[in-house]
Amino acid sequence: MPNIEPLPLEAIEDAELRALIARCEALGVPDAVFGRILARVPAYAKVTLEAMLHSHTEGSVDHRLKEMIRVSLARFARDQYFSALRSRRAQQAGLDEATIEAACSRYETDPRFTEAQRVALRYADMMYLDPNQVDAAMYGELKRHYTEAQIMELGAFIAFHYGMQVFMRTLGATPTLPT
Amino acid sequence: MSEAKLDDGIDNYAASAAFSPAEKVALAYAELMGTSPEKVDAAFYGRLREHYSEEEIVELGTFIGFNIGYHTFFGTIKFYPLFSPDGRLVSQDESARLYGDQPMSLGSARSEQAAEKVS
Repeated sequence: MPNIEPLPLEAIEDAELRALIARCEALGVPDAVFGRILARVPAYAKVTLEAMLHSHTEGSVDHRLKEMIRVSLARFARDQYFSALRSRRAQQAGLDEATIEAACSRYETDPRFTEAQRVALRYADMMYLDPNQVDAAMYGELKRHYTEAQIMELGAFIAFHYGMQVFMRTLGATPTLPT
Repeated sequence: MSEAKLDDGIDNYAASAAFSPAEKVALAYAELMGTSPEKVDAAFYGRLREHYSEEEIVELGTFIGFNIGYHTFFGTIKFYPLFSPDGRLVSQDESARLYGDQPMSLGSARSEQAAEKVS
């Protein structure tokens, strides 16, 4: 049982929040557990889930790359919950478990990744492992492959998802369904 | 809230007499989530429940998680406050000189500015 018990769905009266939880469930990230925990503070729940969905699925950075980054960060945060979830949209776009595994462990040398993907994965890796390495040189490297708008999109995505993963780790939650 | 209390809340909250037990456990929640999340376990959530409702704990946890994520990202971008501690609109170069590479409170920044003026 998580350290904060998720509310039963039928106890969530806010229709907008229920719709957001359904949208998250349709994507697969997060599943209903996270939304049902946050639902104890409906206003927080709505802005958090909306930001989570928006940062993951909107913008111009490849959703599959964001999904690889998200899983890698969740493992780094040792968050069992977000580590276990998968974006159905990314899966439908061809992202398989072998590629996710490679992104989490050997992206620098695995031939399946482009230089642009490698620098984005390194950006996420270094952000919390050693933020001193995310310096002007690394931003220069990012700018060789991404626009400044895309770098902000990546940075904000990384920051937001990692923060929620750290919180969720402390709650000790696990997904609703095996994935 | 004074700058002195803010500094105390960051550096010395556990021993300080300026904070209630409820404030101390919330400050510990923020500190441990950032530095030793493995210590934020069921027992720790039990301590939080002695002072806060589950709604308030979710509010705190979301707020803390958000800040842990974003402040590290913001730190890598190297941007600084628009205004100096004495309220002047300053350039980013001047702001970087004023606030430096390390986070500091407005109180300590003002003290350093004052020291620079008299030296």
